[in-house]
Amino acid sequence: MKRMMQWGLSLLFFLTASNVFAAVEDLNPEGKFKVIPGLMMIGLLVLFVMVGVFAKAKTTEDYWAAGRGIGQMGGGAAIASNWMSAASYLGMAGLIYLKGFFAISYVLGWTGGYVLLLVLMAGPVRRYGKYTAPDFVGDRYYSQFARLLSALIVILISFVYAVGQYKGIGMMFNWIFGIDYKTSVVVGTLVVLAYVLISGMLGATKNMQVQYVVIVITFFLPLFFIAHKLGYFSAVPQIGYGAALWDIGNGGNGIAPEVAEPSFYLPFIKDTAYHWIALCFTLMVGTAGLPHVIGRFYVVPRVSDARWQVVWGLFFIALVYWTAPAYAAYAKFSNLLGTSGVNIAPDAIVVNAAELAGLPEWFAGFLAAGAVSAAFSTVGGLLMAGASAFAHDIYFRVLRPNATEETKMKIARVGTVILGLSIIIIALNPPALIAQIVAVAFALGANTFFPLFLLGIWWSRTTKEAAITGMIVGLIVTFGSMLIPKTSLLAYYIPFTSSAVLGVPLVIIVMIVVSLMTPEPSREIKELLYKVHNDE
Amino acid sequence: MEKEGLGQRDIHINFFRPVGEFMTRDVTMTKIILVVWALAVYGFLLLLVMAADPNDTVQVTLNTGEVINQVTGKSFLTEMRFLGFPFHYFYMAWFCIGLFIAQCWWYCKFSDNLEAELGKAEKKPGQP
Repeated sequence: MKRMMQWGLSLLFFLTASNVFAAVEDLNPEGKFKVIPGLMMIGLLVLFVMVGVFAKAKTTEDYWAAGRGIGQMGGGAAIASNWMSAASYLGMAGLIYLKGFFAISYVLGWTGGYVLLLVLMAGPVRRYGKYTAPDFVGDRYYSQFARLLSALIVILISFVYAVGQYKGIGMMFNWIFGIDYKTSVVVGTLVVLAYVLISGMLGATKNMQVQYVVIVITFFLPLFFIAHKLGYFSAVPQIGYGAALWDIGNGGNGIAPEVAEPSFYLPFIKDTAYHWIALCFTLMVGTAGLPHVIGRFYVVPRVSDARWQVVWGLFFIALVYWTAPAYAAYAKFSNLLGTSGVNIAPDAIVVNAAELAGLPEWFAGFLAAGAVSAAFSTVGGLLMAGASAFAHDIYFRVLRPNATEETKMKIARVGTVILGLSIIIIALNPPALIAQIVAVAFALGANTFFPLFLLGIWWSRTTKEAAITGMIVGLIVTFGSMLIPKTSLLAYYIPFTSSAVLGVPLVIIVMIVVSLMTPEPSREIKELLYKVHNDE
Repeated sequence: MEKEGLGQRDIHINFFRPVGEFMTRDVTMTKIILVVWALAVYGFLLLLVMAADPNDTVQVTLNTGEVINQVTGKSFLTEMRFLGFPFHYFYMAWFCIGLFIAQCWWYCKFSDNLEAELGKAEKKPGQP
């Protein structure tokens, strides 16, 4: 044990000191402590912990199923805040800032997926009535091994997804407190962990509603002032940025035509239509295949509520997604006007947009505090999903079916801590931009869980052998796409953020072929599916 | 829930060959929604490709090091303005998201009606 800790610590120090991947931009090289933004963020964290303390988790059931009495709108707000992470708040605008119209595929991918989720998954999954995604897989595919494998994938998805969140938290702590990025990540992690352990999921669901309100207010308010300052329609700055797009591309409002960048709005300059489709498809399908999103359906008591909360959730998400491209456009516009004295990083472009427009510091502070809230709410949900996959699906279902509630609870907490800490290792040297890292988590969900749920629900002939083969192929495609040499033609056609464009069709075909080659599932499983589809 | 209730009925679930009235009607609606959904996003993107001015190109360096001429996609869809936006940008970043919400709303209404019409009670198979 002591040996392991020593080894772990030296690995941590090695990674802290090394720069295996591209370094994260220092947003605050002078090391200045920004007082007002700092107070705002601490205030928000205290608020969240207070809400968490008031709704402290009592039993293991609470810990991951959050009781069963949350209204449609409240459920929608919880979905939205669980969903909206540093990737939505910071990453999306960052990529639009870099890649223009190409990155609108992130906006559409992360909203359009909900249509798939609703019409293909929500009702049947809710009627099937299991607690977690691996529970469904283990039951539908009558296999402990499939359950185990899917639980490991849940943990893997949570891990990758959370790396992006940690990067966001680290960058914001760096910007606010003036401590360097790596220290920020470690400090941020400790705060997240403390908060998740105190609140548990009952608290987290309440927290999520509070966090959603915070996210929307912080994301909306500064935009009015930015639009006003830059001379665009500021009553609805989400519409006002349309004119800014035009000026960026063609000149106007102070931008000379010579410095205009038409690549910001023209569709296929930076990437082709194929790349746009590949990415959008991956994110959409991934949305319908993310276990912690599907997991939100078990929290509501009635099937109808499970469906309606998707509508609310999507609406709440849309409010932020209609807004994010505006930050990118206003930041780009200020940038072309020529500004100095601001340390720009694509992943902090939302905060930069306020600085670039020359607004007082507390506007940017507001955004930074909101970004941290967004990351926190998602990390909470992710750690919970990962820990419950470990405690419920692996430990309780496979290893120790006789475990008491108390032991399960303890294991869930230990799992949260181990997962939370191990993510630091990758987050210290993040391999890509926030939205790209998160896109990989979506590709993983798309290549594994989406075919598993799609065929599992809609084709009763799918067998356990097919499920296991499908998961393995999905894993190979997802991680294979990351290992392809970056300069190869294959990497051009299968970017690591978009691997589901190959993975999903391939896995579905493999699963169908394997199913037809292996013995049919029992009549009981088909009867259950019939009842699920006919609501009997 | 009766154990033997389904007897010898055909209970092979297949999206393309639905069984039972509830599933049949549900799948019909699902198909309509998915077709509209796919056309709205990917159909429009293909329209952008087809409408693109082939003479408006730009030099792009690929990750393989190869330099190619790429069509920028400039067309009447990108040069037409709507609420200040280039039209295609508004369509994607504003309209499509609204469409998704409308589609979800529509499906929820449909499902509620279907359940009411067929008198489905709130039962939860597979649950204690």
